[in-house]
Amino acid sequence: MKAYTSAELDVFLKSLASDYDVRVPVEADDGTRVLGRPDDGPPALAGGALAAKPTAVFFPHFDEVLTHDRDRLDVQKPVEKPILVVGFTAQDADCLEFIDRFYSENFRDDIYFNKRDGSVVAVVSGRCGKDGAFLKIAGGKCDLEFICEGERFLVATYSKAGKGLAAKLNGGEAVAQGVLETLRKESDALPTDDDELLRCASKLLLADKVPDAFWDAISDRCIACTGCNLVCPTCTCFEVFDRTGGTTVRRYREWDSCQLEGFMREASGHNPMGKQFQRTRRRIHHKLAADVTRWDTLSCFLCGRCDDVCPTGIGIKAVCREMVEKYG
Amino acid sequence: MKRTLTTCPYCGTGCGFYLVADDAGKLVAVEPATGHPVARGQLCVKGWSAFEFVNHPDRLTVPLIRRNGKLEEASWDEALDVVAGRLAEVRDKHGADALAFFSSAKTTNEENYLMMKLARAVFKTNNVDHCARLCHASTVAGLAATFGSGAMTNSVSCVEASDCIFVTGSNTTEQHPLIGSRIIKAVRNGAKLIVADNRRIRLARLADIHVRWLNGTDVPFVNAIMNVIISEGLEDREFVETRTENYEELKKVVAKYPPEEAAKICRITPKEIRDVARMFAAAERGMIIYSMGITQHTHGVDNVKSLANLAMLTGNIGRVGTGVNPLRGQNNVQGACDMGALPDVYSGYQKVTDAAIRAKFEKAWHVTHLPAEVGHTVTTAINAAAEGDIHGLYIMGENPMMSDPDLNHVREALGKIDFVVQQDIFLNPTSEFADVVLPATTYAEKDGTFTSTERRVQQIRKAARPVGQSRADWEILCDVAARLGYDGMRYGSPSEVMDEIASVTPIYGGMSFERIGAVGLQWPCLDRDHPGTPVLHVGKFSRGKGLFGPADYRPSAEMPDEDYPLLLSTGRCYFHWHTGTMTRRSRLLDREERFPYVEIHPADAKKLGIRDRDWVFVATRRGEIRVMARVTDVVIEGVIFMTFHFEEAPANLLTINALDPVAKIPEYKVCAARVRRAP
Repeated sequence: MKAYTSAELDVFLKSLASDYDVRVPVEADDGTRVLGRPDDGPPALAGGALAAKPTAVFFPHFDEVLTHDRDRLDVQKPVEKPILVVGFTAQDADCLEFIDRFYSENFRDDIYFNKRDGSVVAVVSGRCGKDGAFLKIAGGKCDLEFICEGERFLVATYSKAGKGLAAKLNGGEAVAQGVLETLRKESDALPTDDDELLRCASKLLLADKVPDAFWDAISDRCIACTGCNLVCPTCTCFEVFDRTGGTTVRRYREWDSCQLEGFMREASGHNPMGKQFQRTRRRIHHKLAADVTRWDTLSCFLCGRCDDVCPTGIGIKAVCREMVEKYG
Repeated sequence: MKRTLTTCPYCGTGCGFYLVADDAGKLVAVEPATGHPVARGQLCVKGWSAFEFVNHPDRLTVPLIRRNGKLEEASWDEALDVVAGRLAEVRDKHGADALAFFSSAKTTNEENYLMMKLARAVFKTNNVDHCARLCHASTVAGLAATFGSGAMTNSVSCVEASDCIFVTGSNTTEQHPLIGSRIIKAVRNGAKLIVADNRRIRLARLADIHVRWLNGTDVPFVNAIMNVIISEGLEDREFVETRTENYEELKKVVAKYPPEEAAKICRITPKEIRDVARMFAAAERGMIIYSMGITQHTHGVDNVKSLANLAMLTGNIGRVGTGVNPLRGQNNVQGACDMGALPDVYSGYQKVTDAAIRAKFEKAWHVTHLPAEVGHTVTTAINAAAEGDIHGLYIMGENPMMSDPDLNHVREALGKIDFVVQQDIFLNPTSEFADVVLPATTYAEKDGTFTSTERRVQQIRKAARPVGQSRADWEILCDVAARLGYDGMRYGSPSEVMDEIASVTPIYGGMSFERIGAVGLQWPCLDRDHPGTPVLHVGKFSRGKGLFGPADYRPSAEMPDEDYPLLLSTGRCYFHWHTGTMTRRSRLLDREERFPYVEIHPADAKKLGIRDRDWVFVATRRGEIRVMARVTDVVIEGVIFMTFHFEEAPANLLTINALDPVAKIPEYKVCAARVRRAP
């Protein structure tokens, strides 16, 4: 088995630009790691979860989906090149698997699959997390995986597309046998406290053991920034609206947020989720209780983003911690 | 796909984020900037939406000239010729002081500097001002008098270092959400929170003490707090003795406000006053945060001075976690003031009445005879226009037909002006009076700097191509100056303008685009080696010793009476920004608050037979508008609250054109009103 330096992977990923729309983690001006094109900045594979959700390449924040001008109607064109996205964490890959299911059941979301079909997803894992943290190895749920063994990255492949790409990799240095196994063991030994916390919170919610007063107190600390929804890779809600300019009508879809009063407001003005605590509860209840019933899985995979982005410290982990302390 | 680090165009907190443009160059997202010292990878709902209005089809894309009463498309050459020609004509016919220039707290430092340079160097008038007049003019005057510097004394990061935060007249989580969120975190970490605001704002729910005193009784309230502190010996004697002057006068004045007396005026209990006094005086690091609930009064300067007095009395100045912290409203209202878009000062608060300062600017700008008289403010210019004394008005990025008090008066005034040029990104109600409309770019389509409320000078960077033929405000201003034959406003970029600003503005002396970099630099920054200043007045006040500025209670200009029994207070909501031109063109923000509304207490609503979501008429002596009733105990009985975001029911049709005698700020927070159900 071979391992590749970050520079070798950078060259490799850049070489794929003629066949793929390549998106990789790069470092932006203030040090934020963003998902850009390889030439957008210094490569930044290491560092863990990206601040913005990587699933946005398939389900963007703001998407023009249809244009009507006089008699002409244009729908979104198929993507020119398949998207190759590097920089998912193992948790992000779990999220992607979930929204793939979500968008393909019943009504298959053609706008999502326009970008998702034919795409290639690469997870980055191993010894390259933030502040030396070990990033969980996905071991699947993606096409290929770059597993950091310290300095260099091993390449594991899980799909035909992944294998095809890996075959084009040049350079690399052989590593001793058993390195991958060691890394996997290290990954398996990662603490599972947060998973346990979430499962415990989920049980409390399913058993209806969390009173409204708890949510009321949490919602007092919510400033309705909507950030938790906007960074969550399993938040799939969107608003559809039109803008008219001259003879042109453009239809957009945009990420929505269940933290907004307008999200559930009825035409009359009546709102079944009119109180803020109901909306605060909704987001977490949905991920830890409703989705468990509907999809047989928690739909929070602990990517960590809502805890990072929440200005007042009420991301899902923080809330579950309080919940379990009080009622667990 | 391109990501550009920039600064939020909404409030004065100064959050950094990335604007994301797609391959076609259209903005499609905002992403967090984790390395930004203020935002720290977090944003509020407006920040997350700050890309949306930029590509809205309503954007102005070509210059417009009014012909036969209609605004018609024109070329840039035509439009600029008309602007330069007509303004010069007014100057030649009526004198330079018949012109007024409204600069803009939404535009960059460089553009504000150029606007005041255009007014002063090219037209030779000091009639230049901007909307700071409407929000924090009282702060600039009040803190300059007491401390020697009219800006927020401390930094945003100080909030989390404070052990007692006194918030008054600031709905911080809605109007400066990323500062409000730090208050919430500080409280979670054990800091005490005092909220003095009669609306039950979010922070009130988390406060140790929430005082709901009557609007406009700020001076007796704060005087009574100081009365308790002095009478119980809780003052910081060493600080008072070594760092301040005029203490005896303060003692004399506050002695007239024992809690029992003040409580009657404020309609609260003496216990509430004592509790606040003791809690704040006990703090090791006590911080005062305020905003327009304090400033927008006919006694706004007195209010500000009273808070400054309280901070000095308790020694809460010049240290991390303390201070008097006015939260500036607009993204660049601090900068617009710093740049001298004010009628009495050049950039860096250098007085126009000082001959040596004028001589310095004459030399730097290669002009002679800079005007020595203080000019008109935004509010007095409108009054002068109504008297027929203003004949030409240049409005950059302001919307007086929505934002100024008593809109019928504004309408009359604007209607009397011979020539109005408006430079903006969208048409708005003020456009009705424009003879020429010049399409400007948004913050996302140009370079420059904004200065946030904590005096942090930060860059904005061009993230998208300007729509249509729109041009950056600085380019337009320079073109106007060139057409008038002035050679001193030719620049290759905003960075060159900043270099000039640094050369004539001591507090910005060390600023350059290169040094400002990704995270900004806080003024005073005196030279290229100066690290910037997170906390003012450390060891010594800007004016030497802090000056106690005691004030007596003066009632508001128009209090409720039999005909108009309710007290109307105006302000903003979380989801909209000022006159709504940007947020009402952002889908989720617009969806969230769709209708103009009035908050009314359940008891008042019941008396008037009004139910939640009924349409009602709200009237004052100046006008009447139709809005939706929001029946809520967020307001106290007898007080109603409205926002000024809605063009279809502009709250400023109702407000009173009564001004603070010093700061000339209007009394947006108090006037008498009545409400009836709409038939």
